[in-house]
Amino acid sequence: MTKRGSMTDRPDRREFLMKLGIGAGVAGIATQGAASLRSLVPNVSYDAPTTVKLGSPMEFPDGLKFLPDQRLFVFREGNVFHAVSAVCTHLGCTVRAEALSQPETRQVAGTPLRLTHRFLCPCHGSSYAGDGSNVSGPAPRPLTWYQLSVSTDDGQLVVDLAQEVGRDFRLTVA
Amino acid sequence: MSARSAPGVHEKRLWSLRPRSDREAGDAVVSNFLLHWFPAKVFKPSLDWSYSFWLGTISAALFLLLCLSGFPLLFLYIPSVERAYASVKDIEYVITFGSWIRAVHRLSAHLMVAAVVLHLVRVFLTGAYKNGVGRGQQREWNWVIGVGMLLLTLFLSFTGYLLPWDQLAYWAVTVGTNIASSIPWIGARIRELLIGGRTIEQPTLIRFYALHVIVLPAALGALFVYHMWRVRKDGGLARADRAALLPEKAETPPARSKTYTLLGVARGTAPAIRATSLEAPDLSVNAVPDLTRRATVSVLGTIAVISILASLLRSPLEEAANPLVTPNPAKAPWYFLWLQEIVTDTTLHVGRFTINGAFLGGVVLPGLLIALLTVWPWLDTSPQGAAGSWFARSRRRQNLVFLLMCLVVVVFTLVGTFCRGPYWHFYWPWQTWPEIPTRI
Repeated sequence: MTKRGSMTDRPDRREFLMKLGIGAGVAGIATQGAASLRSLVPNVSYDAPTTVKLGSPMEFPDGLKFLPDQRLFVFREGNVFHAVSAVCTHLGCTVRAEALSQPETRQVAGTPLRLTHRFLCPCHGSSYAGDGSNVSGPAPRPLTWYQLSVSTDDGQLVVDLAQEVGRDFRLTVA
Repeated sequence: MSARSAPGVHEKRLWSLRPRSDREAGDAVVSNFLLHWFPAKVFKPSLDWSYSFWLGTISAALFLLLCLSGFPLLFLYIPSVERAYASVKDIEYVITFGSWIRAVHRLSAHLMVAAVVLHLVRVFLTGAYKNGVGRGQQREWNWVIGVGMLLLTLFLSFTGYLLPWDQLAYWAVTVGTNIASSIPWIGARIRELLIGGRTIEQPTLIRFYALHVIVLPAALGALFVYHMWRVRKDGGLARADRAALLPEKAETPPARSKTYTLLGVARGTAPAIRATSLEAPDLSVNAVPDLTRRATVSVLGTIAVISILASLLRSPLEEAANPLVTPNPAKAPWYFLWLQEIVTDTTLHVGRFTINGAFLGGVVLPGLLIALLTVWPWLDTSPQGAAGSWFARSRRRQNLVFLLMCLVVVVFTLVGTFCRGPYWHFYWPWQTWPEIPTRI
């Protein structure tokens, strides 16, 4: 007989096999859990596209138009356009526009801008000036400005909701 | 001795409402499945209405009612963004007893939040998370389980009021998940996981539905069972530990207690009478019927109150979810209004640096509050004797701190409920709100 002996003589081997078994069990359950969790993270987005055609620029009224589907304010002054998001930067409610009794023109980011409205949030009381800058309440940032362009195929106004722009952005439609 | 009357064998199929002997009372507990989680004997003062107010039992009864009323709703509700609102409307206006069942479910949910919070307050103020004289007690861990159950109760309520897919639901999901997304670095990913995409749509509803009808109730049920088991392992309510502090029966030194002659008094030869102190009264009673009777009264009382309230109060249903218009003001249910108030007030501007109130007030502060509650038993260094008594002198300072925190929450809740109007502006309750067009 060799020294190897029976299993009871080798507690280290028993111990090792037991740990191996427990480890395999834990690893199996952990993998199941991780796989279940990962399956809930979407791989494909069925969200609405971020580039949206808004219609002919000439159909927009002078001043402000609210587009509820895009949660967007589109401003027109003659043939100059810009767009400001209506999504409050605090917790994402839709702000409401309130017309100012006395519109004023102010320098915003180095360019003059006619401020006709202010924006108020119904959820936590943030307020914004007409250029989207946060004035009071919990809003941490100004409202986002989005890029506007003119579609090359049919001349419609197009907003890109994934493209933030500075507050000096203006689109001039010829 | 016949087999039927052997020890541990109870003759009746259920239990004896009026056991004829201690033996019969004990056997009922040992041999009956429904009673096996009760002890055979309980410390009578633990059963006092004015000690625990039976708030834990009431919370459990409300959970039972929520499960019972949830089953028919499970068959009637359709978790689809197109049809959820209409199916709830059907439940409310078309289905026989539908509005009553929905009212039972809704009222039980509201009262359960209240009962669970009050239960936590009671346990704190009586120092019931403290270990007493029993060996192997781990009451502090049962407190931690309890805090977990409170969070589950709140999350169940949150997921519940989303399901009708009305305006309250839609904007609550918007705000709630944006609080999650305010966490630096990982926030956006957490929000995407919660709502199953980047916009609130069908995947959002089905996720919250699955959480509400199976994941969260199962988790709460499991914790509830463990909570009850721990109460038994820890020797019952903390008050039961006070039984050990009662005076033992002891012999008092002989005293000259009676005189028969004046002379005897003068000479000190009056007969002395040996006496013992009053024996510590035996304060333990049989669980059947003393405990079962009160538990039954608590549960049936809760069911009666909810049933009556549900036939008197209608459940509100706001307009169908409209992603285009945020209601003004948009208010959370009462138990979240203090949080809504906090996220309003905590945006900090330090120089050019801004901390969003959504993160500070919606994540950091509540997180700290929960962490503080969780570790409190380990911070509490008051003596053992403070366990299980209301407003113990040795815990006065921490009780005051706790009550102050409760007061802040209550004040914020009241401000949110009565003093916030359109655009979340402050109005006194007697001030009228200005007329504001519903659409711009």
